[in-house]
Amino acid sequence: LVGLLAVVAAGPTCDVPVTEAKEDVLTIGAYSVVREAFHEGILPVFAAQWKRQTGRDVRFEESYNASGAQARAIAGGFDADVAVLSQESDVDICAKAGLLDTGWKKRPGRGIVTRSLVVVGVRPGNPLSLHDWDDLARPGVRVLYPDPKTSGGARWNINAIYGAGLFARGKDDPDPSAARDLLARVQRNVLTMDASGRQSMATFDRGTGDAVVTYENELLLRRKITGTEVPFVIPPATLLIESPAVVVDASVERHGNRPLAEAFLAFLKSPQGQAILAEYGFRPLDAEQDTRPLPPRLFTMADLGGWTKIKKDVYSPGGVWDSLFTGQEAAR
Amino acid sequence: MSRPGAGALRPSSYILRGLTLGYLGLMVALPLLAMSLQAAEPGLDAFVKALTDPFALHALKLSFVTAGLMVVVNAITGTATAWVLVRYDFPGKRLVNALIDLPFSVPTVVAGLMLIVLYGPSSTLGVVLGRYGLEVIYQKPGILLALMFVTYPFVVRSVQPVLLEVDRAEEEAAQTLGAHPWTIFRRVTLPTLRPAILTGMALAFSRALGEFGSVVLVAGNRPMETKTGPMYIFGEIESGNTHGALVVSAVLLACSLGVLIVLNLLQRREEARNGH
Repeated sequence: LVGLLAVVAAGPTCDVPVTEAKEDVLTIGAYSVVREAFHEGILPVFAAQWKRQTGRDVRFEESYNASGAQARAIAGGFDADVAVLSQESDVDICAKAGLLDTGWKKRPGRGIVTRSLVVVGVRPGNPLSLHDWDDLARPGVRVLYPDPKTSGGARWNINAIYGAGLFARGKDDPDPSAARDLLARVQRNVLTMDASGRQSMATFDRGTGDAVVTYENELLLRRKITGTEVPFVIPPATLLIESPAVVVDASVERHGNRPLAEAFLAFLKSPQGQAILAEYGFRPLDAEQDTRPLPPRLFTMADLGGWTKIKKDVYSPGGVWDSLFTGQEAAR
Repeated sequence: MSRPGAGALRPSSYILRGLTLGYLGLMVALPLLAMSLQAAEPGLDAFVKALTDPFALHALKLSFVTAGLMVVVNAITGTATAWVLVRYDFPGKRLVNALIDLPFSVPTVVAGLMLIVLYGPSSTLGVVLGRYGLEVIYQKPGILLALMFVTYPFVVRSVQPVLLEVDRAEEEAAQTLGAHPWTIFRRVTLPTLRPAILTGMALAFSRALGEFGSVVLVAGNRPMETKTGPMYIFGEIESGNTHGALVVSAVLLACSLGVLIVLNLLQRREEARNGH
């Protein structure tokens, strides 16, 4: 049996060629949303640049997975040199495992490499004229977003709704009860919570639901890849999605490729890297370069008090999210 | 139960037994033990707290209720199917017989997707049903439907061979004595089939308690509403609450085991009564 398991385990990796010294290898552990932008856009251009600068070839070992699962894989021993994750709390999982400096957030730019917005995908022609979060709470509107228990992306979506309610009277006058109320009213219209953002989109594509809460870059990417337009609206008050990338110290020290990993990270933040990411639907880090309009009442996770506070207030056992259901149940 | 043959004392039979039990231990018992230990490790208080979490309780309750309803439906439809396949001849019978096992070979995710395509809110049938206020997919009936599909073969396949073996003489005797066909079925045939039906029901029930792939697609996954035990487990693992997930897993597992043990006891009693 052990032999059998060994054979199975060895199977997929036995065709890896013996690496020659001329080739540099960079292992990337990323969240699934950046797959197309990285694989087709970023990596070929970066490889060409690295060749020009150092005369060496670079081979990428790419892994794309749900952000939380990827973070746990890296913390559990997957030796990614660069971690590109959806949210900073996922990077914290790697930091807590001792793989990088726990003060990584204090570095300039807070490690952020991509920006996007939480938006609402609607049916062609927007037949229900959905424009703001309150419209999603109208009776009979069927809403889709993934389960925040299994999808880190769902937390961006839910934070956006929560924040829109919280800042209904303005950023300097937060109203937690309005936040909970808005979230409860939208959640009441949720038809199904799939395991991931992509699965929610697939459900929407099958003709189910009137609105899907998702990222702007996901919808723009679909337009680029499939040529089909998923119309969407940007609610006046929505959340700026900021996703980080970090060099995993423990991995680069073992692989001896820190210069390569640092160069890759720098490339992601460079104007050239940002332009490629923008082609795939992300907003540029430099707001000056942004050609698309921003919503009037945009807010960030920092405005909401940061991930640590939101995780505690909203997603911890007995937090706002749980109370939506226990409260609902008790009222029946 | 067959008696061990004369060869039982040969060393080769010990080796075979040892290997088989060792294999069972390695493949089934060891992982189960590891899981139970992990669930129990933080202590009884933590176990009870994780189990009485309203979300966990609701998910467990939903799993038991849907699996229970499914078992009742499948007991009737499964027995009827076996009856039709054994007692009647019709064109395409072989094909139908082959179709029965399909739910076992279709990946459960595909089964779920199929149900969505057929009954989903955007399908023709779904729109018609919706007009009458009957929503199937993303509601509890969807869960029931998925469970019924994936466990359908159990009762059929356990009743069918028994029904083939039934001695028709008793039924014919009852018939000549003027008994109504329904009475014959109820008083003569059914008692013979009962152990087989129970076996099928028990297997289907324990399979349904753990069913994930098909249910996760059609249930809607709304906490305190349409989130079943296995979906709760998945969510808690993904969000880092491994202990909560293990506790609910342990309960589901213990119930499945309990059902199978009770079944075993019932079968022994039945055999003893029949004088085997």
